[in-house]
Amino acid sequence: MGEDKRINLEVELSGIRLRNPLLVCSGTYGNGREYAEWVDLEMLGGLMTKSVTLEPCAGNPPPRLWETPCGMLNSIGLENAGLESFLAGELPWLSALPLPIWVNVAGFSQREYVVVASEISRSGMADAIELNISCPNVKKGGIHFSSDPREAADLVEKVRKVVEIPLYVKLTPRCGDIVEMARAVAAAGADGISLINTFPAMAVDVETARPRLANNTGGLSGPAIHPIAVLLVWEVARALDLPVIGMGGIWSWRDAVELMMVGADAVAVGTLNFSDPAAPLGIIGGMLDFLKRKGIDSAAALVDMAHREGG
Amino acid sequence: MPGRYKAEVVARRRFGTLVELALETGSAIDAEPGQFIHVRCDKEGLILRRPYSLSGMAGSVVNIMVREVGAGSAWLCASEIGQELDIMGPLGRGFSIDGGSRHGLVAGGTGIAPMRFLADRLRRLGLEETLYWGVEGEAEYGGLALELAKECDLLFATMDGSAGEKGNVVDMLLDAGVEGLDGIYACGPRGMLTALAESLNDETLAAMQVCMEERMACGVGACRGCVVPASPPRRGYLTVCRDGPVFRGRELDWERIRG
Repeated sequence: MGEDKRINLEVELSGIRLRNPLLVCSGTYGNGREYAEWVDLEMLGGLMTKSVTLEPCAGNPPPRLWETPCGMLNSIGLENAGLESFLAGELPWLSALPLPIWVNVAGFSQREYVVVASEISRSGMADAIELNISCPNVKKGGIHFSSDPREAADLVEKVRKVVEIPLYVKLTPRCGDIVEMARAVAAAGADGISLINTFPAMAVDVETARPRLANNTGGLSGPAIHPIAVLLVWEVARALDLPVIGMGGIWSWRDAVELMMVGADAVAVGTLNFSDPAAPLGIIGGMLDFLKRKGIDSAAALVDMAHREGG
Repeated sequence: MPGRYKAEVVARRRFGTLVELALETGSAIDAEPGQFIHVRCDKEGLILRRPYSLSGMAGSVVNIMVREVGAGSAWLCASEIGQELDIMGPLGRGFSIDGGSRHGLVAGGTGIAPMRFLADRLRRLGLEETLYWGVEGEAEYGGLALELAKECDLLFATMDGSAGEKGNVVDMLLDAGVEGLDGIYACGPRGMLTALAESLNDETLAAMQVCMEERMACGVGACRGCVVPASPPRRGYLTVCRDGPVFRGRELDWERIRG
């Protein structure tokens, strides 16, 4: 234990102190409560909530899930109980935890994003906002905002004006030039970037010639997309001096360390939570052992290491 | 309280295409018929757990029935005595056993798993039950029908007429009459469940409980992946893993389920 104390796992993002760099991705941990009986939530570095929209959202028809080799397709379609219910029932419970909370905000119009983000900020119960402009599963549900840097910047600028807490923007990996996109949202006032959302994808049952998902298409997550996340975090971190939360198919402490080495200031575990709700805690342990073995005294020292070594 | 266990395979029996596994969890389990366990498949490339209804329970041992339909179930079917499985459970809402003494249980194919557990529970409560089980052909499930017939009042139907009554199990139940039943419990393919729900009237639909199946990720209500359509006025969706897997007939929108 004496030795552990010399290794500092804390990281700081936009003035928010995380006891360790492991968060859980939006949509994979509900609003925390679902996992409270399975995991000591206070051991996490932070939690990113399920997307909140202005009105209650029923989501897409089932089937919504399909497993692919080393991956998972989903088309949940932003199902959630809406802002009012979130503010009354979910956020007070979450904010009582000694744990930084990023509230993921989604919308079907600019106005909706602005209203939801503003109310979340005003509530004083969230540490930061993660703006979901890259959900692949709803028409007009965001992804068009992230296909065009000007539209994305316009939205971020409007949200920025009504929000007093750090504003992170979650980008899609299906993007012509990720650096241009990141620059545009940064110039519009984003405090940080979340990389990456799921990759748009599809699967078909050849016996029936029908798509596996009722929505036809979905978002691919899991180990299959991890190397894409590594590349995009690498590119964005090299070009911009802005905090990045790295995510995409983290399956082990190695994947988490890898994303930090290419420039992520913190990382988030997603799809892995479904098979192992305690995975983020195991990854923290693995990261600690790695730091010890390498004689590195802090998790923050991992950030950008690959840029210094080879880039 | 559900938990996460390293459960050891302590018995393995094959019934045709079905493999029944008995898993020793190491601690006393309190489960209701209709609840499930979420099983991790430790095979390269498979990333999601697989949900299985409990087919029985005794002390610290739980039983599941697995039929090979894909890579995950193939891996589970091949598991050997002594192997450890990472399971979460028991999860979800099980059957509630209504008052009254006459209960009709309807299973289609592998839907027999939770029904076997339920039949056992009803019997222990001293209630009168009839289990209607329909399959494609007798050989599909080996000697399971013979075994069940020793445990309870079994009416067996095969589509190909290889054993029992020829035809589908819903017709068999309806022919026997549902009016006097205090509880109707069903698990099976979607087509069977919709056929049953649509042939019931308001009163008998209220007495019906169904155990639903859907592709699942988290198993605890967090991801909203495994949903079924809810009936008006609620509309929207209910999760199989947390709101279910057992639903009252009236909770679901059968028109949307039929598609």
